[in-house]
Amino acid sequence: MAIWNTEGDLATNQGDRKRKRSELEYSRPLLRKWRTESEQRMYSVKLVEALRRVRRSTQAAAVRPRSRAVREAADRALAVAARGRTKWSRAILSSRNKIKQSRRRLPEAFPSLSRSKLIVATGDGCLSAGKKKSSPDLGSKAAILGRIVPGCQKLSFATLLEEASDYIAALEMQIRSMAALTAILSASGGGSSDAPAT
Amino acid sequence: MSGRRSRPRQSASYSRITDDQINDLLPKLQALLPEARHQSNDRASAAKVLQETCSYIRSLHREVDDLSERLSELLAATDTNSPQAAVIRSLLM
Repeated sequence: MAIWNTEGDLATNQGDRKRKRSELEYSRPLLRKWRTESEQRMYSVKLVEALRRVRRSTQAAAVRPRSRAVREAADRALAVAARGRTKWSRAILSSRNKIKQSRRRLPEAFPSLSRSKLIVATGDGCLSAGKKKSSPDLGSKAAILGRIVPGCQKLSFATLLEEASDYIAALEMQIRSMAALTAILSASGGGSSDAPAT
Repeated sequence: MSGRRSRPRQSASYSRITDDQINDLLPKLQALLPEARHQSNDRASAAKVLQETCSYIRSLHREVDDLSERLSELLAATDTNSPQAAVIRSLLM
């Protein structure tokens, strides 16, 4: 719980569940959390536990889908690390349950496309300072981004940017953690016994 | 200039977005992109930032997939009876 106190505004995460997302300033300290050592350490622990489970569950089954299982386990651990504050993390955790039932519904992308076009068009006049930009271009890019970040298909532009920022920071931490783990395991597995792994 | 917005606001009823919000968030997003760390991009166009963001997230996904692949190979290696496998097993268990 120590890391929450250093962030200040996240100290009471129990009562803050109703905190409105209209406050933008919290995005900065939240992003910094993904770079703390303690957060990465906690994630690494969760990751190792998840890998143990994957190994146990895939021992009897075919070896083929293991990398997929590892990826999903890592994503799920990452989503748990987000502590339910972001849409993408909630989407990852809930999609695990309905993974076979409903795939990504592509028809839903079109209604959201027209919505983001409208929203971005109203905000576009200020960004391009006089020059009329092609708003469908911006809207379609926003829609693409919404499809890449899990669970962010129908979000407003501002929320989408917030989610994307947090998602990027979280992904970077995930990569750092997995790379370190891979280095440790491969060094101990393949190298000499007296060579310390970083 | 500001009277150009003829679209009714009710279409954005589920979220009130102001241009200030967008202008405020884009630089923050841009700061996360790897390109921003090499050169100080001042107010790049929104489309470019979105494009960069999409490509960057996709490349991050690819990296995670690669690492998952390597980790799964290491896990598969623990199924053998070599001494290396025993070391990895002891680290994981």
